[in-house]
This record gives sequence, structure tokens and C-alpha cells, in this order.
Amino acid sequence: MIEATNGINKKNGIIFNIQRYSVHDGPGIRSIVFLKGCPLTCQWCANPESQHRQPELAYNDYKCIGTSECQYCLTICPAGAIQKNQDKIRIDRKLCTNCDLCADSCPSKALNMYGKSMSVNEVLDTVEQDSIFYSRSGGGMTLSGGEPLLQADFATELLKEAKRRRINTTIETCGYADWEKVEQVCQYVDNILFDIKSMNSNKHKEFTGVPNEKILDNFQRLCNRFPNTPITVRTPVIPGFNDTEQDIVAILNFIKGIPQVRYELLGYHRLGEPKYIYLGKDYLLSGVKPMAEDRLAVLKKLVQEHLGDKH
Amino acid sequence: MTTCCVLSPHEQRIQEEMLGKDDFKKGRERIYKILESFHTQRPIIDVERAKYFTESMKQTEGEPLVLRWSKALLHIAQNMTVYIDDNNLLVGRGGQPGRYGMLFPELDGDFLDVAIEQLPSRVESPFNISQADADIVINEIAPYWKGKTFHEKLAEALPADTLKMTYDPKDPLKSRFIVNETASFRSSIQWVHDYERVLKRGFKGIKEEAQAKLAALDSNSPVANMEKAPYLQAVITVCDAIVLWANRHAKLAAELAATEADAVRKQELLEISEICQWVPENPARNFREAVQSQWFTQMFSRIEQKTGTIISNGRMDQYFYPFYKKDIEEGRLTEEKAVELLECMWVAMAQFIDLYVSPTGGAFNEGYAHWEAVTIGGQTPDGRDATNELSYLFLKSKQEFPLNYPDLAARIHARSPERYMHEVALTIKEGSGFPKLINDEEVIPLLLSKGAAFEEAYDYAVSGCSEARMPNRDTFTSGCAYVNFASAVEMVLHNGKTLLTGDEVIGLETGDPRNFQTWEEFWQAYTAQTTNFLKHAFIQMHVIINLRPKHFATPLGSSMHDLCMEHCLDLHTPVIAGGIDMGYFELMGYGTVVDSLVAIKKLVFEEKKLTMAEIIEALKCNFEGKEAIRQMLINAPKYGNNDCYVDAIARDVDQQALEFTRKYSKELGVHLDLRLVPFTSHVPFGKVVSATPNGRKAYTPLADGSSASHGADVNGPTAVLLSNFNSKNYNYRERASRLLNIKFTPSCVAGEEGTQKLASFIRTWCDLKLWHLQFNIVNKETLLKAKKDPDKYRGLIVRVAGYSAYFCDLSPDLQDDIIARTEHDTI
Repeated sequence: MIEATNGINKKNGIIFNIQRYSVHDGPGIRSIVFLKGCPLTCQWCANPESQHRQPELAYNDYKCIGTSECQYCLTICPAGAIQKNQDKIRIDRKLCTNCDLCADSCPSKALNMYGKSMSVNEVLDTVEQDSIFYSRSGGGMTLSGGEPLLQADFATELLKEAKRRRINTTIETCGYADWEKVEQVCQYVDNILFDIKSMNSNKHKEFTGVPNEKILDNFQRLCNRFPNTPITVRTPVIPGFNDTEQDIVAILNFIKGIPQVRYELLGYHRLGEPKYIYLGKDYLLSGVKPMAEDRLAVLKKLVQEHLGDKH
Repeated sequence: MTTCCVLSPHEQRIQEEMLGKDDFKKGRERIYKILESFHTQRPIIDVERAKYFTESMKQTEGEPLVLRWSKALLHIAQNMTVYIDDNNLLVGRGGQPGRYGMLFPELDGDFLDVAIEQLPSRVESPFNISQADADIVINEIAPYWKGKTFHEKLAEALPADTLKMTYDPKDPLKSRFIVNETASFRSSIQWVHDYERVLKRGFKGIKEEAQAKLAALDSNSPVANMEKAPYLQAVITVCDAIVLWANRHAKLAAELAATEADAVRKQELLEISEICQWVPENPARNFREAVQSQWFTQMFSRIEQKTGTIISNGRMDQYFYPFYKKDIEEGRLTEEKAVELLECMWVAMAQFIDLYVSPTGGAFNEGYAHWEAVTIGGQTPDGRDATNELSYLFLKSKQEFPLNYPDLAARIHARSPERYMHEVALTIKEGSGFPKLINDEEVIPLLLSKGAAFEEAYDYAVSGCSEARMPNRDTFTSGCAYVNFASAVEMVLHNGKTLLTGDEVIGLETGDPRNFQTWEEFWQAYTAQTTNFLKHAFIQMHVIINLRPKHFATPLGSSMHDLCMEHCLDLHTPVIAGGIDMGYFELMGYGTVVDSLVAIKKLVFEEKKLTMAEIIEALKCNFEGKEAIRQMLINAPKYGNNDCYVDAIARDVDQQALEFTRKYSKELGVHLDLRLVPFTSHVPFGKVVSATPNGRKAYTPLADGSSASHGADVNGPTAVLLSNFNSKNYNYRERASRLLNIKFTPSCVAGEEGTQKLASFIRTWCDLKLWHLQFNIVNKETLLKAKKDPDKYRGLIVRVAGYSAYFCDLSPDLQDDIIARTEHDTI
């Protein structure tokens, strides 16, 4: 049983970003609602701020204007977690309680909280602002994360409210959740973006922290339970993890022949790397180069051969 | 998702050129040959127009101005060198081969001798001139005009209080960029002719109309004798002038043909000769003649007077279409031939440079800016969709040959066909920034509200940067005031003074803001300052409108206008019966003003995180040692993010200015509408404004048009559009164009899906009834590289406030400005 944590309920959830004019995650022009918290810890994760379930403090050294210009955070921190570090600062993560006082006082927003509690209506009021763009483009709201199923009750309420406001809905999921939650959420979803990262459970566990059986099981159940909901299976191609032809073919064989399923490869990128530093975390794939364009092209061709136009 | 390495097709073409590939030239050999003949050359000044204009004006003193102007044009037509360019199928130019600019001494003759020495070395838009030509300017041209030019008389006529807001009192050549006049560096604002009249009737027909009217005049009438007869005589003379000029080309082409060794070119020259003997005197009989006739007309118009932003081309896909269709149907023309001919015109346009001698004019038109708008799409006079095959051909030409000429404007309406939307989106993706978009759903109701008939409003043409004109109904040509609202904010903060001008009190003394107890007090001080600015702007307009007809005439322009011909009045006459006078005033620095007001309201009066004294102190030292305060100001809410708190203030700022013009423009008999269209002038206007409470550093550019302050729009392009919508006052007909620039990186619009999403984005923009939109699709990395290594990126086109320019032609200042604009990328 994967439990929802405190502070997350039907009415309120922890959101770390609402990104408007998103054109790469679902049909049309969309707003992506990023829900915080993920049961996986993928080594390549481009949103490390999404992993932890509670709001957490980030520090962007580059934005910090230095302690000779400004000392607001040093004086305001009640836990003594912020110390001078040459002209900049250092956060003692063991002492920090993520209380938000320093971020609130920081003039340059070098200190910033990832994640805040928002109500269903607060989220939808923001999302609905672009409704005129959704209606022209066939877009809408996409729930992403983290893993939205980790806040399943809240996600359900968001989706219900979106439906009431006639907003098209998409969910982007890693598929790792109890089936009841998957079913509960997906009945309000128009499109599903479902990550399948590897068919090899051991490898899957090594690189994401969890085995893949539950994910694959949920996928098959989803296809059966919602045969009319389009599902796009996506694989982030990570060098050294799943970038061989065999890795991809294994996934293709698994999804082949399911009428509502399309398939997409996503090239690995390192754009999330700075955020690890802001959070005081280590980036495990440091040094791994993004995939060469032609390598990705080879894999894409492979997909085309296997699935025809359904990719 | 490899967002960083997607190049737009335009960027790809430049890279291929760098690598020596030239596949893209296939089928366009002629056009590329012409392009390469002038592409990298610095523009030169040709003095012939100025020389012959001055010679004639010396001879005709005392006669009615419109007649003098037509005689001067005839003198030019008789004497100016005519040229037949190698390779080009079209002829007609105003100066030597290569990129050239002409001089208009009636505007700046009094200081032309001094200015001419500085032109080759100025940073913005430099020009070359030969010593012999410089001597002609200094000895023959400039002396005659001293004491006679418009700007000299204007400085004399302005009241002292207005003058000090307009010019440096010690040197009226230096604009203060506070209440800036734009009537003295051009003799007309943007304009568009009724070219169809020439194609259908020829100048022979126009001349016959004038002759008939002249014969029918009441010979005892004083008005007929003193006003109408000279006007009609002027029209007759100008018709003779343009026909003579065309015929001289016919003669030269025939002479060249006689000695031409290449058989193909010989045949082309013979055709050119035959065509120039026929048009523009007679109605055009086919597409080729129509294009040549139009080109002669617009070129002679460019010689006639300096129209701000260059004379526009009107609805080319409409008035050329009957000729195109007939020739295609009868097998005389192919698509390829039609495109080649049009592109012959584009490369001819590219050689004419809109030269501004005055430093103010130069600052308004950096990077050899030009807006000879070619309009496509839109609706027919009876309200049907007007898109035709020629509209698509213009887009195709722009996709395959992304020269930044002409300035292409696509009209969009609620029923624009999907194919058109798709082709427009595809063309924008090419990366040259064309076409710019103008919204019928906003423009047409506004034209109706100002008194136009439906059939006139539906038939408007885009004119200049982003304006709309009805060629036979508009009658207002005076350059209008640019009002620096950011300077008004500065004057509130420093009690009527600016840091640049020190102790001189220029604005109103609205009190020490450190004593203001409430936001309302601050707002009242702001409205007092801006109302005072507008007061002087309108006084300035009053003087300008009445003074201009003594200095400028446009017999050619008038000959193509129904109302001018009906009433026998030159187009520059202040009031022409039946005309709609649509002028404007410009609110400069909108985003800067809104963000500054918001920061003060929020941080000083609501959250009380800062005191007014702290802010003023930080502004005075340009944030030196006050970075924490600057960061707080920068991180206050900003316009362009669909934030209702900010957008409400933006709307108040807009409304306050609208109220003024609603009250006072009637007195002037002109619709002086509120406009947000800076050209490139947000840079010079920024140079007189010290640090502002939005965190902007002293003397850096202001926000341009209705766009957000640089880098302030962080919620993406949908929020930018919505902020723009929210801040408009749709209940006021006194509103006009709002320029809006959005930069996209290629990954945002990649592939078929990207095209569709871009098209739907444009549809939504149309739904929102925003006036104008233009895109800049490029990588920031590309711009940085281009700045570092200009030689490798000479051909790189970028969007700047309403037009495209070569990035490397811009001053470093403006390059930085473009780089700083927020990129809307989704990763």
C-alpha cells in the first residue's frame, strides 16, 4: 500500500509548478500542473524538486547577490541553518525545517521554496485562465509530477473540477501506484501519458529504485479498463540504462497490438542538473552526455519499423 | 528533447551558406545575383534628388506650393540619372547602383552641411558619401534651405513651455525625448496609395480627369483661381513628370539592347523598353506591366517626399490578382515567373535605404529600418474572405527567400481559411519574423467607430509599422507626438526634474514623494505629470497641423486620392471635407511605467517592505551598492504575466491617457488615438530616463510597445497575450495599434504539430482582439554568437519592434536589448 502523506488530502495538494503554454505533453496548448512527490528515484530525473513529498528549500548560488549586499536570510532563520560561505551562503540541511521564512525575505529569490499547498480551486483558477487557448488548440490541463497518483485523492478532485469546467485532461504517470488509485484517477482523464522505462525489472530497480512488475501490471489493467482512452507510452532513453535496440524492442513487443496505444521516445537531457545543486543533492548521472541526434534517430526508426505510424 | 540544437530554417540557411552550400539558390539564380551585387555594401548617399529639387525650388518662389512641388518633380524627372540594373527585370531607382539613400533638404537642409560630415561615422545606420557629392550638399543645397525648413519654423512657433519639453532649449536640433515631435524628420506619416487607380486608369487617365476639372472651373471664382487651378495644374504636371521618367527608362533600355551581346538579356531589355513606354501612362495590360507600373509609382512617390517608414504597398494580393489570374489562365505566366518578378521587386526595395539625417530620425529607425508594408489576406469590401492564390505566393516567396524586404503583413480574421493560417504559421517558423499579423477583428470595428463605411473598413491596408489605412478616406498626414511616460514617473520621484537635466524643472512640481502617505497621492502625482505631458503634446500637434501645409506638398500622392481630386486640395491640407483624420499619440515605455507603479504600490504602500526614501536613494545612485533593493523591485509583480493585480494598474494607465484624448482631440478635429508602437525609439527614450522603480538601470531601453519589460514575462506567451488583453480599455474608441513582440525558440514550433499549435495560438490572438503580433523565432545562442562574430552572421534577420533588420546592422545597444528579451521555450 502506497500511502498519501500528511498535508495532502482531497481539498489541498502540494504543487511545485503550474507551467503554461506547454506544447510537448499532450494535445494542443496545455498547462501542466506538477504535483510534488514521487515513489521513484530515477537517476536521470530532470525534476529533482519533484521527488520529495513536502515543500523544500532551494538555493541558487548564481542568483544570490552575496552577504556584503544583503543578509536578510542570515538574520531571519530561526533554526540557524544558514551560514556564511565566503561571500555567499551555505544551508545546513540537517538544521533546516523548510519553514519558508528565508525564501520569503530573499530579495533576489535565490532562496526559493519548491512546492506549496494549493486548493483545487486555486489550481483550476490558474489553469482556466488559458481556456481560450485550449479551445482553439484542443489543449487543456496535464497532471504531472513527481507522480500525480501519489496524491490520488487530490488529483481526482482536480480532474473532476476540470471536467466540470469543460477542460480537457491528461495525466502523465510512471504507473507505480495501487490499482485502485490508478482506476479512481483515470476515469476522469481524456489522455494518458504512461512511462515504461525498461522491461528488465532488476535494471529498473537499479536505476529508478523500484521494480517494474506493478507498473506493467497497471498498464495492462488500464488498457483493459479504459479501452477508449488514448494512451501514449513514453520511454526516456538514458545512456547506459535503456539505450540499446534490445531494450526498446522489448518494450515495443509488450505494447504491440493494443489499439489505443501510441509510442514515443524522449531523448535524455541534462537540463535538470542545476536543480540538484540548488537542493543540495548529488546528480548521479553527472558526466553522462546527452544522446547524439543520430543515435536517437536510429532508435526512432526502429520504432517506426515495429509500430508503423503508431508512434 | 534536444531543445538547444534546433535551428530555424532561416538559421540553417545561414549555416549552409557559411559551409559553402548553395542548393537553396536553385531556381533563383537571377535574384541571388542581384542580391549579391549589393548585399554587404554600406549604403551610399545619392544627392541628385536633393540637387534638382533645390534647383527647381529656387526658380519657383512665390508660386503656390503644390505647383512648385510638381515642377520640382518634373525637373527631377528630366535630369536625374536613370539606370537599368544588370539582371533585374524591373527598372526605376532613386540613386546609384547598390544600397543608396536620398536626401530631402526641405526637411533638414539647414544643417545638412554639418550632418553630412557625420553620417559615415555615426553608430546607428551609417552612410557613405563621395567628396564631390558632399561639396554639392555643402555649397549648392544647404545654403538655400537655411531659415526655410519646417523644423526651424516649428521651434520658433512652439510656446516656451512646450519647447522645453520638446527640444534642448539651447539646441533645437536635439530632442529631449520627453514630448517628442516626429513631424520634422519626415514630411508625412506612414501612408499607402490607391495603386489600383494607376493600374486601371494610368496616369493618362488621372491627367485627363484633372484637365477636365480644370476646364470646368468657374473662371470668376477666387477659390478656383487661387486654390483649385494650381492644384489641378500640379496634378497634370506630376503626371507628365512620372511618364517622362518612365519613358527615359524605355529609351535607355532600347539603347542598351542595341549593344547587348547576350541574346537573352537583349530580349529582356527590349521588353523592358516596350513596357516602360506603356506604363504607368496607360492602364496595365498584364501582370508584368502591373508590377512595373506599381514599382514606378511607389519609386516616384519615394522621390516625391519622405513618407515616414517608406510609402506602403497596400493590398498587393488584391490589386495584382486580376492580372495574375488572367495571365495564368491564358498561359502567358507561370507561378515561377510571377514569383521571380515579385522577387525582382523585393531586391529593388532592398537597395533603397530610408536615410534619416537628423539624429532623432536615425534613432527612430535604427538598422536602416523600413516598413513598406505589403498587405495580404483579410476580407473583401463586401466582407468575404479575400485570400487568393497570390496571397499564398507571397508567403511561399517569403518562406523560400527570406529577405527582410518587403515588410510583409498578413491580415487575420475570424474566418481566415485553415490553409492560410497554416501557411502563415509555416512562414513565421522560417525564422525571419514575417509576416507580422494584423487583426481584422480589432481594426475594422475601430475604423467603423471613426466614421468609415463597411466597404472602406473591410478594405483597409496595413500601412507602415502596424497602422491601418483606407487609401481614399484617410486624410491625416502629420507626424505625431511620442510621449515619454517613463519620464513622467521619474518626474514624480524627483519633483518635476530628471537626473539627466539636473536642477531644471521641466515637469510639474508635484511635491516630495517621501511625504506621500498613500498610494492615491502617488497616483495623483503621476496623472498630473502625464496630463501635463499630454497637454504639451497636443499643443505641439496644434502648431504642427497648421504649419505643415506651408512647407510640404504631395501632388503625386494627392492625384491618387478621391477626396483630394474631388475638392482639389493637396493631401497635406489640414481639413479635407469627407476625410477621416486618424492621428495618434504614442505612450512610450508602457511596461516600464506599469511595473514601476506596481512596485511602489506593493512594496511601499501595501507590504511596506521599502520606504519611498530608500527607493529614491537607490534610484539616484543607479542601485550602486543597493542591489538588495533592486532585486526586491525586480521581483515585484510584473506586467505580461496575466497577473490581475498588475494588469488592473496597466489598464488604469491606459485609461488615464485615453480620457485626455477623448476630451481634447475633438478640438483639433483629429482622432489622436493612443498607440503603443515605438519603432526602435524605446532605446533613445530610455537614454533620458534614469533608474526606475521596476529595477531598470539608468538610461537603458524602455519596454517596447505593449510588450512586457525585458525578461519580465515569465509565465509564457499565453500570459503575455492575456495581460495585453486585460490592460486594454475596449470601451474606448480612442485606442489604436498596440505592438506586441513574442520571441519563440524553434523547438516551440518544431514539426507539423508545432505549426498547428502556432496557428491555433494565432487564432486565439485573433479571438482576443489584439491589434498586432509578431514573432521572432531564433535561439539566444545564435544571437550571442552573431554579436560576437558579426561577419559570419551578416544575413541573420531579427525582429525589432515592428520590422525585421539584419542583426549585425544594429548598434550593440539594441543587440543587447534583443538578446535580453525573454525567450519562450518549453523544455
